[in-house]
Amino acid sequence: MVLLAAITQAQAVRVDAGTPVLLAAGALLLCGLFAGKVAKGLGLPRLTGYLLVGVAVGPYALGFIPNAGVKGLELVKGLAVSLIALVAGTELHLGLIRRVGARVALLCAAVCGVTFAVCFGATFALKPVLPFLSPMTVPQALAVSALLSTVVVSFSPTVTIAIVQETAARGPFTEFLMALVIIGDLFVMVAFGLAAGVTRATFGNGLDLPALVGGVGWELFGSVAVGCLLAVAMLLYMRGVNRELPLFLVGLSFAAAEGGARLHLSPLLVSLAAGALIANLDEREGRRIHHAINQAGLPVFALFFAAAGAGLKLDALVTVGPAALLLVALRGLAIWGACRRFAPAEDPRLKRYLWMGLISQAGVTFGLAALVSRTFPSFGPQVEVLIVAMITAHELVGPVLTRRALLGSGEIRAEEAGGGA
Amino acid sequence: MQALLVFLIVAALSLLASSRSLLDPGRFPALAQLAASGLLFLIFGALLGPSVLGVLSPRNLDSLRPLMALGLGTGGVLLGLNLEPRLLRLLPRPVYAAALAHAGTAFLFVALPLSVPLLLSMGLRPLVAVGAAALLGAAASLSSGHFAVLGYRNGRLERARGLGVALLTMMDDAVGLGVLALGLVLGVTGNAAEGLGLLALALLLGVACGALLAFLTYSLKDLAEQTTVTLGMVALVGGAAAYLRLSSLLAGVACGATLALMGGRTAERVSRALSRVERPTYLVLVFLVGSQIHARDLSAWALLPAFVGLRFLGKVLGGTFAQRLTQGVLDLPPRFGYALISQGGLALCLVAEYVMLVPGSLSQRVLDVVAVGAVVNEMLAHGAFRHVLAAEPRATPMRDTPPTGDAGVAA
Repeated sequence: MVLLAAITQAQAVRVDAGTPVLLAAGALLLCGLFAGKVAKGLGLPRLTGYLLVGVAVGPYALGFIPNAGVKGLELVKGLAVSLIALVAGTELHLGLIRRVGARVALLCAAVCGVTFAVCFGATFALKPVLPFLSPMTVPQALAVSALLSTVVVSFSPTVTIAIVQETAARGPFTEFLMALVIIGDLFVMVAFGLAAGVTRATFGNGLDLPALVGGVGWELFGSVAVGCLLAVAMLLYMRGVNRELPLFLVGLSFAAAEGGARLHLSPLLVSLAAGALIANLDEREGRRIHHAINQAGLPVFALFFAAAGAGLKLDALVTVGPAALLLVALRGLAIWGACRRFAPAEDPRLKRYLWMGLISQAGVTFGLAALVSRTFPSFGPQVEVLIVAMITAHELVGPVLTRRALLGSGEIRAEEAGGGA
Repeated sequence: MQALLVFLIVAALSLLASSRSLLDPGRFPALAQLAASGLLFLIFGALLGPSVLGVLSPRNLDSLRPLMALGLGTGGVLLGLNLEPRLLRLLPRPVYAAALAHAGTAFLFVALPLSVPLLLSMGLRPLVAVGAAALLGAAASLSSGHFAVLGYRNGRLERARGLGVALLTMMDDAVGLGVLALGLVLGVTGNAAEGLGLLALALLLGVACGALLAFLTYSLKDLAEQTTVTLGMVALVGGAAAYLRLSSLLAGVACGATLALMGGRTAERVSRALSRVERPTYLVLVFLVGSQIHARDLSAWALLPAFVGLRFLGKVLGGTFAQRLTQGVLDLPPRFGYALISQGGLALCLVAEYVMLVPGSLSQRVLDVVAVGAVVNEMLAHGAFRHVLAAEPRATPMRDTPPTGDAGVAA
């Protein structure tokens, strides 16, 4: 931190500074790693340490890292999401899907439905006080409330999987939680596509149903298809070349994330499908991928979460803070209530602890918020500010709650798993 | 998008370059040689860059500067780590004199004559033109020992002699880095005092990062954490230098040297961690240098034969001096100068750094000449080394030797 502060001060001797991206990467990696160790010493998830130190040295707090540097690390976000999803995919065995698939899907629909209804009602009720909603007609306000609530419902597979990796948690509760956050994101993707189409229609662009269905279908099925191709490429590499596997996986995940984003696919789903296919075709190769990512993942995860922390706009909390905090509280209550009411009764841990694992929000929510901002330039940027303010709150408490949920379930096997987040 | 593009290009080229059937040394010796030294990526970079096919635009290249800084920082730290103080103290004086002789002769042979056309053709201040000529000389002074390493591994060169060549070629790096420092002092701001201050700042940054790296990695036991800290520090030293518009290469060298001085076994661990990313980083850097070549600069093409020819003469003559100076101390092969023709990756690092910190047509021309010259020298080195081997009695093959070799980073 002292060195970083000195570098920032030394910048005064050079009026025209060069590119800050690499500086941001190095600083966040180092600060993140050691903050993670401190957090672990304090009994918190490492991930919280990464996030907090990112916030501290980022452009919105101490300002040691310029904003341009943090923005330049967008590439790392896609890579981390892709790597994490690949690991998660290797856990998705057909046996597991058969065992819990239907129950997870039902509970997911219930949790998402209740949370959506609560947030939708609250957002629409806030119409007079929310600056971007107040000038809209009632149908427009309803559509925008639905769009915002869809994004607000989303969970964070990235955080959940990272915490599971960190704690080496294994067992039915952990499987249920991971499956729930992954399926929840699929629900959100479909719902977001529909809500965006309806919102576009209320603002006078007309409802283009084929394009709407085609877009959502492409994102879901296209992602799975590309993921399968990726799985074949990985298997070929592992059986044919089989050198520097961690490096190869990092490279391939990077290509999947960047290429997927360009093709309007979901990088999460692409890698998830790839991992799942490999694990089900060849379990041994699936385990090797898991091990290889554990070896190569630490720098990527530390950098990803520290960069996410540095990107949190603390000033947004001031402007839309009260509304965001109200929605955060209502979302939490809705998730808690839905889990208490609808979680399967045979495992009491689900009713008691599952909600804690569903509070986090990160990459997917960021992505959807940015998409709202780009798609609806008239009001989207203000919606994005509100959502980012909510993510800030969720990122700070979510990892702690997820770890507590796993601890409460009694499935944490180790205090420290190799690599991981 | 450009990062993805470069990644995909480099990945595809890596697969191509690792194809034994396509690059069979028996069928395409020149291509196989270029692939092994990494210079094939320079050619691909030049082809895909803005001046030939234009797949990468100047704007793309501008946004890829962090990757260049990372490559230069990594290269610098690795060079610095090689400055093992205990080993350097053990070396007798004639070895230093011999390294200075072959590097210095090539430097003078290139820098002095080429400063004349640079002075006359560009209409620049004498100091700036002399600085550019010095950079050309610095690049010329560098040699790579990878042919010698391959030679003794394949049993075609006696091991002690191969190691002697490798040692002397490693030591000329100091000449190149010294001249780069001088060129930057003179060229970065146009004010020597200010330039000296910036150089001192770069070295200070490197020393601080090196000391911090030694401290941070001292108690780390976990391999993943060690790798993360090492990568983070390399990114920090290269990135901070790039952000302050200082030399990432020199800051990296200072960082590595400080670590080598303070770190003990930590330095070994850092070196191992860095060696895992050395080759990909080097290939990306070489590719990016290649993509910056202005292939249509006729003046650069005109300077090229003079650069290559004068360097060849300088190395052959310098090799003779070095051989005389080390008689009875080092066992060098006959026709030692011919073993010094290959130029290696540091020359590319020098000109990449120069063009990043002193932008303009002059530094661009230096880059063009040195980058194309490196490819030509590599091709010449292949033939020249045969003269060395022809005069060498048959040596015993090494047991742990791979049958065909990748020279690794040809620095």
